[in-house]
Amino acid sequence: MNNALTRRDLLRATLLGTAALTAAGCSSVGAGLLDTGPDPNTLAYWNLFGGGDGVRMTQMEDGYRKANPNIDLQAVTLAWGNPYYTKLALATVGDRPPEVAVSHLTRMKTLAAGNLLQELHPEDLERHGMSAEKFNQRAWEAGLVDGKIYAIPIDTHPFVLFYNTKICEEAGLLDSAGKLKPIKGQDGFIDALTKAKQVTGQYGATHGINSDTATPWRLFQTLYAQLGGEVLADEGTRVVLDDAKARQVLDYLRLLTVEKGLMPGSIDYQGAIALFASGASGFHLNGEWEISTFQTAKMPFSMTLVPNVFGGDYAVQADSHTLVLPVRPDQDRARLDLSLGFVRSMLDQSLTWAEGGHVPAWQPFAKSARYKKLTPQSNYAAAADSAVYDPPGWYSGSGSNFENVMGGAVGAVESGGMSSDAAIAQIRSKLSHLANTAPPV
Amino acid sequence: MATLAYDVPKRELTIAEAQRYAASADRRTRIFNRCCMGVLIAFALLWLVPLAWAVDTALKPNGETTNPTWAIDNPTLASFRTLLAEGDIVNWYAASFITSAVVAVGTVFTASLAAYALSRLRFRFRWLAFWFILIGIMIPSQVLIVPRFRELGSVNLLNTYWAVILPQIPIAIAVFVFKQFFDGIPKDLDEAARIDGAGFFRTYRQIVLPLARPAVSAVAIFSFVWTWNDLLWPLLALSNPKIMTIPVGLATVQGTYGIRYADTMASAILGALPLVLVFLLFQRRIVEGIAGTGLKG
Amino acid sequence: MTSVVAARRETRPSGHGRPALLFLAPFLVLYLLFIVGPAIYGLVMSFFDTSMVSTGLGEFAGLSNYAEALSSSDFWAALWHTLWFTILTTPPLIVLALVFALLAERASKARWFFRLAFFLPYILPSAVVALIWIWMYTPALGLLSRTMTALGFSEPNWLGDPDLAMVSLALTTVWWTLGFNFVLYLAGLQEIPRDLYEASAIDGAGPWQQIRRITLPLLSRTTSLVVVLQVIASMKVFDQMYIMTQGGPNFATRSLLQYVFDVGFTDFRTGYAAAASTLFFLVVLAVSTAWLVMTRRQEPEL
Repeated sequence: MNNALTRRDLLRATLLGTAALTAAGCSSVGAGLLDTGPDPNTLAYWNLFGGGDGVRMTQMEDGYRKANPNIDLQAVTLAWGNPYYTKLALATVGDRPPEVAVSHLTRMKTLAAGNLLQELHPEDLERHGMSAEKFNQRAWEAGLVDGKIYAIPIDTHPFVLFYNTKICEEAGLLDSAGKLKPIKGQDGFIDALTKAKQVTGQYGATHGINSDTATPWRLFQTLYAQLGGEVLADEGTRVVLDDAKARQVLDYLRLLTVEKGLMPGSIDYQGAIALFASGASGFHLNGEWEISTFQTAKMPFSMTLVPNVFGGDYAVQADSHTLVLPVRPDQDRARLDLSLGFVRSMLDQSLTWAEGGHVPAWQPFAKSARYKKLTPQSNYAAAADSAVYDPPGWYSGSGSNFENVMGGAVGAVESGGMSSDAAIAQIRSKLSHLANTAPPV
Repeated sequence: MATLAYDVPKRELTIAEAQRYAASADRRTRIFNRCCMGVLIAFALLWLVPLAWAVDTALKPNGETTNPTWAIDNPTLASFRTLLAEGDIVNWYAASFITSAVVAVGTVFTASLAAYALSRLRFRFRWLAFWFILIGIMIPSQVLIVPRFRELGSVNLLNTYWAVILPQIPIAIAVFVFKQFFDGIPKDLDEAARIDGAGFFRTYRQIVLPLARPAVSAVAIFSFVWTWNDLLWPLLALSNPKIMTIPVGLATVQGTYGIRYADTMASAILGALPLVLVFLLFQRRIVEGIAGTGLKG
Repeated sequence: MTSVVAARRETRPSGHGRPALLFLAPFLVLYLLFIVGPAIYGLVMSFFDTSMVSTGLGEFAGLSNYAEALSSSDFWAALWHTLWFTILTTPPLIVLALVFALLAERASKARWFFRLAFFLPYILPSAVVALIWIWMYTPALGLLSRTMTALGFSEPNWLGDPDLAMVSLALTTVWWTLGFNFVLYLAGLQEIPRDLYEASAIDGAGPWQQIRRITLPLLSRTTSLVVVLQVIASMKVFDQMYIMTQGGPNFATRSLLQYVFDVGFTDFRTGYAAAASTLFFLVVLAVSTAWLVMTRRQEPEL
């Protein structure tokens, strides 16, 4: 009996296997068995855009394909965060990188320091109509490494304030044109949130905290920079955290969450979005990229700059997406032009990208009337000029351990689990450790 | 057969008394058994809740999930359709299936051969080989990633199925499972075959291996499941979405569904489905396999 | 020559060297290439400042990576989190599995149902388990939160409270992996001869006594196997943290292997990460050796 059953099992297994193989078709299996190496007419492009951004990027890729029918564009989307940069680094070191890849500006510097990126020369860029003055100055300058160009910024994506127009109207926070009246100062912000909370009965504002270190960091950085504070200096080798300013910000955040209950102190990223989308909160603090989510949810909302809560020069946390060309062994003029042509094509489709909420870095479009007509996206265009990027450092940047350390501590304060002083002490100790470690690049 | 009376009194009983004790004991045993059953059924149902909840959520439209109850107001397969339309999930199934099946075959083959040597053959460094293989169980796979990456990269095998298959075949535990099982098979059978002139390989193939079916099942199924479920190494080694395995594909799209919880649950269900089917088809084999290993003395 | 071999056969093991090599070869080749080789390379890396973004080994660092790990509060915190997780998961996974197996053994007809219910989660990929439980733990919307509020309790901050997050992960893990131990115990229970129970019942033993005097001792071999496999698996925990909490909140759930991942893959410091994992390997080795010594005493022929 055992014998017969086993043969039947094998048969079943083989049948399942064959079914799977035929279902998948031959192409993916072929790709799975051999790595045939790069093709002169193939352009491999890696990005980390999912969700709404992913949809738009796919549109732009299709736009490129239509204009360049003889080029095989292979676009690969990988998950945001660590695995993306790890894989990019590993692939480049292993001589099998994509031709073009997306990189956050704050991480690009580490990659450049690791000699993983090709330097872009002005004359090559000129050939494709790109030059320094055609980009947002702040993003451009922030991306230079020792005056050399390694990346082309396509946007700046700042932290913004979403608001529910209906709730704010009921709360009396809109002006005659239906836009949010400018909120100024700490009390002004508290006042606005309190009024919103009275209308919703639940919260004034939400933002992600649990399992999310990026958002609390972004909020902290925005307010802290408004006070003029800096965290790291000298490429991350020195910790220059201003304890007094940091305490001021942390105490204020704690006031909003723990003491006044205007914001939930323990909610994850998606939960914060869900609360805002369902009308349980009047405001939402997040990156502008979530505009698609709220548009899909068909709720009445608009967006504007995060208020200047602490006075002083206006500052807001932001990062930029850039396109980089990883170093590759078979680089030649033809391949360079192929890659740069793709980059230019992405810039030319800035309108599609801007619809996703990003502030375009490509000035010919940013200064155009079409962009200005795009609301609510153009409401916060000024953020690009006041953008504060993560401090440069090998352990810093989007999705890095620096953000984990900062965001974790800020989140702990907001959830009431840690005092401001304890948080500052923790930040200091962890960052000092990182600052004193020799960089791997 | 129910257990006999407990609390047996320590003196001689009349027949009537004995019958009364037996009857009450039977009843108490039955009540006890029923209580046990009740408790167990409750826990089993509890254990099924997460999966049931996932299926329940996946069958709702996305909008309905923001105020979730068990009731489904508008049951729909829309989430599943969305996911299948996105195309890649079928490729993920193929990749997972191919890699897992090849590893299963490879592991059974290599591990059983090695275990046969350890169990049946006498050679000078037998204990050394034994301990050498034992160490393998303890090495955490994270530390192997960068070296393997450089190794496979230098022969251009990265981003292919082989990158996932080859490192998964040598499973140390499998060798021990087989050895444990072979040790339980009487050596006289080997002797008899040898006297008849069979070589070692014939003996292995025609005598010992057929008797080790439970071990073969166990190893085949576990290596299949472990390969299927492996996340970290394939995540880093595979960049082409068309050849990603299911866990890698799921991890890649994990954050992108946002508050579309129904879609998220649908992707989880679809990711689990093939293995569940495998389990349902081979349930008895799996259990026999586990039962036959690690317990033989 | 044959006679010499025959004469020797009684005195010491001999002669099967070449066939043994052939039998061992397929396994050993792959094992050396993909497990031992990389492990040794990793060990070498630990003595250098190897970086992910450059080829080669980088600068020689001697023991400084090890010194850094041993003096790093993050390293020890991660090790403690791993031990805490092991403590949280191992007892339930052993005791509950045994209890369920004991209960299930009394049911002969419905046993397939219990096997299905408890074992099904075990075959799910970690990504699926994580997605399902993240959804169940979602504040305000998740099933668990809603059940708590429906029962009148305040909603616990499952994944956001540093003290509770590890417990939540442990709960998920128990659900996920209990089935394996359950099936092992069930099989072990079936090996115990019925007559022992009957004989003891005639002597007046009640069910509790039977369990204590007959079942548990005869299950000791299964139990020791289950315990050591469970402890090693718990120490190697990674997937749950990586997907569900990313080591948070505020690093409260960062296991040692996740720490290795963070420093190796996010910070690109693979040499240091190799040192940390070597230290971890030594800990696991110590635990396993302890077990082997214990079972050796039970079974000298191993």
